[in-house]
Amino acid sequence: MPYIWSKEEDYNYCVELWPYSSLPNKGFAIFILITFLMLNFPLYTLLGTKYFWVIFTFLFVMLAAVWYALRKNYKDRSILEKLTITAELCQLTRQNPDGKHQSWECNRYWTKVSLHESGGPVPNYITLSGSGRVVEIGSFLSEPERKDLYNELVKVIKKFQSN
Amino acid sequence: MADAAIQGNAHTDDRGFFTRWFMSTNHKDIGILYLVVSAFVGFIAVAFTVYMRLELMNPGVQYMCLEGARLTAAAVGECTPNGHLWNVLITGHGILMMFFVVIPALFGGFGNYFMPLQIGSPDMAFPRMNNLSFWLYVTGTSLAICSVLSPGGNGQLGSGVGWVLYPPLSVNESGMSMDLAIFAVHVSGASSILGAINMITTFLNMRAPGMTLFKVPLFSWSIFVTAWLILLALPVLAGAITMLLTDRNFGTTFFDPAGGGDPILYQHILWFFGHPEVYIIILPGFGIISHVIATFARKPVFGYLPMVWAIIAIGALGFVVWAHHMYTVGMSLTQQSYFMLATMVIAVPTGVKVFSWIATMWGGSIEFKTPMLWAFGFLFLFTVGGVTGIVLAQAGVDRAYHDTYYVVAHFHYVMSLGAVFAIFAGIYFYFSKMTGRAYPEWAGKLHFWMMFIGSNLTFFPQHFLGRQGMPRRYIDYPEAFAYWNVISSYGAFLAFASFLFFFGIIFYSLFFGARQNAANPWNEYADTLEWTLPSPPPEHTFEILPEQKDWDKSEVH
Repeated sequence: MPYIWSKEEDYNYCVELWPYSSLPNKGFAIFILITFLMLNFPLYTLLGTKYFWVIFTFLFVMLAAVWYALRKNYKDRSILEKLTITAELCQLTRQNPDGKHQSWECNRYWTKVSLHESGGPVPNYITLSGSGRVVEIGSFLSEPERKDLYNELVKVIKKFQSN
Repeated sequence: MADAAIQGNAHTDDRGFFTRWFMSTNHKDIGILYLVVSAFVGFIAVAFTVYMRLELMNPGVQYMCLEGARLTAAAVGECTPNGHLWNVLITGHGILMMFFVVIPALFGGFGNYFMPLQIGSPDMAFPRMNNLSFWLYVTGTSLAICSVLSPGGNGQLGSGVGWVLYPPLSVNESGMSMDLAIFAVHVSGASSILGAINMITTFLNMRAPGMTLFKVPLFSWSIFVTAWLILLALPVLAGAITMLLTDRNFGTTFFDPAGGGDPILYQHILWFFGHPEVYIIILPGFGIISHVIATFARKPVFGYLPMVWAIIAIGALGFVVWAHHMYTVGMSLTQQSYFMLATMVIAVPTGVKVFSWIATMWGGSIEFKTPMLWAFGFLFLFTVGGVTGIVLAQAGVDRAYHDTYYVVAHFHYVMSLGAVFAIFAGIYFYFSKMTGRAYPEWAGKLHFWMMFIGSNLTFFPQHFLGRQGMPRRYIDYPEAFAYWNVISSYGAFLAFASFLFFFGIIFYSLFFGARQNAANPWNEYADTLEWTLPSPPPEHTFEILPEQKDWDKSEVH
């Protein structure tokens, strides 16, 4: 589940959202390990000869390249959105892959959550509005997840507004 | 903050032809480019063989003369055999087919187009690197063709050392042709490695939620294992040919015994790459065939998990059997026994696959549409090639068969007939998906029967020639071998005619074929994600993650 509610007290809520990646860190380690073990195989037979260094160079450049590619792919998708709701404020921060921070905040009472079934970049697009801006949340989640998230957000925010 | 975009994002495509096809970063467009270019390179490589079969049709040399290559035997005058031209053609055919036709078609073409679709990914992990891989492939192809046409050994054009580039032949061949061939292989290797890294990253990290490794469709699995093999095998080849290059140009003696080098070691390194290479060629074919057979037998593929493990096992075993290509170089008895046994072990996972395909069809409701005919052809021909493979795996028997036409027949049965039939099965299976047009069914069937009869007629008699002792890679032969050679040549002409007919079918269907826009023209057993999209698929696919019920049909079947 690429989003998780971390704090659920009376007035304080916090939800973190990130895009789904199918390769866990452990999977990355296993893949690199197997590749490393396999590429050792031709090298053992060449140990102690001048041929070793030629083959070694090409194989380890390859290993470095695939390592870099997998890490780069993680990095390209490392978006973290964090919505913190306190008694006073709704605060949304977004950490972008290029390291840029974005943030938005609004008095929690005036925050409006809306679900756009169509018309957005993705179906069932969720936006938060307030402080004169409309911002998106969780556009990278899968469709059922966005529907669930919308219901949860509405429940939380309504709870405030009806207090 | 990411400000919301609620105004709708109707995507308008205002790219011109050049921008779309020459600067493409879209995996579907790049897949089509790979298929088109490999078809044209395939045509060149096949044209070489037709000229060679023409020459081999009768004993004596009628066409490849030193006085000038001829196209008709009727041309009068003296004819001094030009062995160099012959050698150039076999080398060109081998290099083009091994590096520039089959891998780009199956791995580059079908892999690029369908692997991201099957796993529900919006594109490849690195779309611009994908574009780079494709253009490196085109560059490599150009270098390979330049190599055929530039000054080489014997004061003629091209180099004739065989696609394996064994030293000392490849080191001593004069002219720049050989260097161009080495560069061609280098560049194509770089292209394949970049492609493989892209495929691996996409496959590992961009699968749809819920699609765990052992729920991935078989074709995507085969592409992943192929990519992994490329990653491990091609750097070894790159090292080997780099050493050739320095031996040729910088006076090193890696493979020159006079300077303490070891030419046999080149063969070991080459085949350490070369044997995985043949699995790189055939594995994606296995994937396509699995889907075709499941679709037209109207049954889910039999034994999914063993099928996946068989792909993995074939890939892993491919790295420990290389020396069965070189039983005759003087290895110890123990070494030969090991390579013999290890080679025969490969028959086990391959057997698992063949029997699973048969079990998939067992009790199914088989429909002989064109792709299924090609899959049947694949199954039969690949099995024949596999059986002769077991024969050749015997170190003792190989003493007799080494470098005879028996070997030629064997590897053409598994690769020319196995991999190529898989390519055609894939093209007919996915044609309407890729183009939104249908091909005439009768034409696809006619193509199949011409190719099936033609290629069997070409290669089956070569078993007999090999058993009679006819060596490979010669321009001429004694009259005793004439009978089966002329039959083999007739087969080659028929197969070539079917290839021309195939181009006709594709052009006709592309421009005049019936519209076929249904998402799934076959049946509910074509159940992978690409069949949920319209035909042809829109420019952008799966930008919204697919849901599990779209691809997980284990409940339904």
